[in-house]
Amino acid sequence: QHGRLKVKSTAQQEEQKRQEREKKLKIFVAVRDACFSKRKEGIWDDEALKLTQQVLSSNPDFATLWNYRKEILMHQETVKEKDEVQTIYGAELSFLESCLQTNPKSYGSWYHRGWVSSRMPKPDWARELTLCDRCLSLDERNFHCWDYRRMVVKMSGVSVDQELAFTDRLIGSNFSNYSSWHYRSTLLPLLHPESPEPPSPCLKPLLKEYELVQNAFFTDPNDQSAWFYYRWLLGRAEREDMISCVYVSRDEERVAVAFSRPVNSVGLLLVLDGQPQRVEWRSVHPRFKHSPLWICDLPPGTISDISYEHNLTVHWTEKHIHRDCALYTGRTESYCRDSAMDQELFRSELSVEKTSVLQSELQSCNQLQELEPLNKWCSLTIILLMRALDPLGYEKEMLAHFQTLREVDSMRSAYYSDLCSKFMIENTILKMEYAEVRVFSISDKNLTTLCHLDQLLLVTHINLSSNQLQRLPPQFAMLQCLEVLEADNNSIENLEGLYHLPKLEEVLLKNNKLIAAKHHQQSAMPLASCPKLKRLDLRGNPVTQIANVESELAELLPAVKDLLL
Amino acid sequence: MGSQVKDVIIKPDAPTALMLDKHADYIAAYGSNKDNYEYTLSEYLRMSGMYWGLTVMDLMGQLQRMNREEITDFIKACQHECGGISASIGHDPHLLYTLSAVQILSLYDNVDAIDVDKVVEYVQGLQQEDGSFAGDKWGEIDTRFSFCAVATLSLLGKMDKINVDKAVEFILSCMNFDGGFGCRPGSESHAGQIYCCTGFLSLTGQLHQVNADLLGWWLCERQLSSGGLNGRPEKLPDVCYSWWVLASLKIIGRIHWINKAKLRAFILACQDEETGGFSDRPGDMVDPFHTLFGVAGLSLLGEERVKSVNPVLCMPEDVLQRIGLQPDLLS
Repeated sequence: QHGRLKVKSTAQQEEQKRQEREKKLKIFVAVRDACFSKRKEGIWDDEALKLTQQVLSSNPDFATLWNYRKEILMHQETVKEKDEVQTIYGAELSFLESCLQTNPKSYGSWYHRGWVSSRMPKPDWARELTLCDRCLSLDERNFHCWDYRRMVVKMSGVSVDQELAFTDRLIGSNFSNYSSWHYRSTLLPLLHPESPEPPSPCLKPLLKEYELVQNAFFTDPNDQSAWFYYRWLLGRAEREDMISCVYVSRDEERVAVAFSRPVNSVGLLLVLDGQPQRVEWRSVHPRFKHSPLWICDLPPGTISDISYEHNLTVHWTEKHIHRDCALYTGRTESYCRDSAMDQELFRSELSVEKTSVLQSELQSCNQLQELEPLNKWCSLTIILLMRALDPLGYEKEMLAHFQTLREVDSMRSAYYSDLCSKFMIENTILKMEYAEVRVFSISDKNLTTLCHLDQLLLVTHINLSSNQLQRLPPQFAMLQCLEVLEADNNSIENLEGLYHLPKLEEVLLKNNKLIAAKHHQQSAMPLASCPKLKRLDLRGNPVTQIANVESELAELLPAVKDLLL
Repeated sequence: MGSQVKDVIIKPDAPTALMLDKHADYIAAYGSNKDNYEYTLSEYLRMSGMYWGLTVMDLMGQLQRMNREEITDFIKACQHECGGISASIGHDPHLLYTLSAVQILSLYDNVDAIDVDKVVEYVQGLQQEDGSFAGDKWGEIDTRFSFCAVATLSLLGKMDKINVDKAVEFILSCMNFDGGFGCRPGSESHAGQIYCCTGFLSLTGQLHQVNADLLGWWLCERQLSSGGLNGRPEKLPDVCYSWWVLASLKIIGRIHWINKAKLRAFILACQDEETGGFSDRPGDMVDPFHTLFGVAGLSLLGEERVKSVNPVLCMPEDVLQRIGLQPDLLS
């Protein structure tokens, strides 16, 4: 029950209402019982149609009675001539029309109409389309009607162009457009399927679409739907499936493989020097059955001798993709990866045409923002445009816009903080690659969350100090090469992610929120799984206030020579 | 911003304290007068109505006030020969009410009161070639029904009886440009469907297929100035979306993107101090449906006076622990 206002009334009004309802109830119960008993007796006649009609016209959600009507109609099909059946179904459609007028949002009515239309000897799809037009003109957001329209279009072969033109008309009439933009998002790919090779053949229609949306949000900057749709346009182009990195270590005799998206380990094959290896693949945590990172251990002695060269190939058999990695003599490790730029990890390659279009849109949005400084959609879109054009170049402006967003739309400040963190991490990855180092440093940047951890497989040193992190999530364990972790001055209360990190030697966690509580050992527990850990700084954490904490930690972590509390 | 944004205004005298006792009294008394107009007219969904009432009572620690035996007998009488279960006696079986019945019997740890194998057979028989599920033999397809199917089978421990891969394929074909999901391929995103689809993907171990950042943004944009949540853009807030939206956010690990304090205030304002129960928005008529989702929403927000609720199945966590069901959630 929705939207039923509670109204106070006099005792007399209450009594009158009560009597009316009692009467209505009596009638309802009588007719309902009559329907049920007729059905029980297997009667499929006009009287049954009349009775069910009485109930359904004001109670269209009474699904069982629609079922009964379907049974009756199916029976009529077997005993009446075709043109009589056509008439009967025609009458059914008229009845349904009145039901839909009373209650345009009943699943039962719409489904029954679709059922009738597809069974009629001669369905009139043009008429059905007109019905949809009328219904949508009353309520452009009625998803039942949109879904029915999609069925009609499918059954009668209306063209995609015609439907796009229909959405054009609705969007042009200027309010409550989300359903139309949504429909466009499903129609465009039918006309212009994307090809993986640039230049994309669907570029021209895409640019036209930018123009269309831009007009919408410049005309009415508070029209949410246009901004949502625009974000989609800016973000399209799915990444290719690929093996993004293979890493080999002689010390642990281990191979780590990073993929462009989470995958299942079934069908992963490791070939060493031409020989397929029988290995067990594992993700960084047993509960991850799909993971962007998979690890396997080689039998002891396979690659440990530094005087031998080895050639490895990882096969992702499902996708017919493989990646090679050579482990040279004298080297303790080896890796092979595409850069984030090559992978189009954080943004797609832009053609000259597209770049100039986006640049002029950025200009226009900046102008709009001067007129409407409180419009958060505009600020967010400016950020997205800057990310698309030049993520590193616009870093400063981006931070300023995020500050604006947190002020103007404070309810969603947690979202903006996380999104900003994500973009700062992306920028740091890009900078790290330009510098060709394996050090990831993002200190004092108001980081509230960690992401893209699957991109940090090769990182040896990470500095996350002076941020607002609350945990090192399980995915942190993807940093298989990590030797030094600096994370002082955060709000970390959970170290789940420091799990079986084979090279981790130094962990600095001063001034965090590692707690005492009943499981004070559990806070530090994951560290026990890191075999090379030698230095641990836990000063300024609540856990250090516990009696006996020093001896308990020494017992938990016997190899740690430098324990600072 | 957005002077034309649809929303409600919470009056200064709206309730601010949680009145659990009043809500328990409201539910306990609901349906006791079988001559009530609304009650009779909602017979077509009675099984779900019972699930809403019993679950909220259990969440409030008041399940013992309800009549376990009467309810169990009623459910038995609603199981048809085909194995499916109807909303009420004399009505036709349907996946919606089959799920509600199995949920109720799970609360009572009495699933064997019905023929479980027949239920599984009924659910199995409704899966279509494209992986989708019809709601009943008449063939309506909807992602809600995919959720009902896997939720039912998960509670019974029989997920292996359907083609899970195909079912997943169908759900993914319903993913939209905004990261959300609709009823069928091509249908507009809607919070109710998003709840069903993220719940489905959780139960089938496929949450990694969700674009959590994109969908999380769409979901957190459901929060309006009043603090309440709507179901899709440009619609009014409604307490039931405190469940559909919030649970979805919890499943994809983004519940902190909502302003919890403002939402809590909205939910509390939807209480009726006089009658007990919650309505869709402040000042409207209450019903068990909105009462469950108001209380369940508060539980997800951390209300200590209410039991922990599972965001995937909308049932008390301790019930699922007893069954041994722990659906994945994104972190």
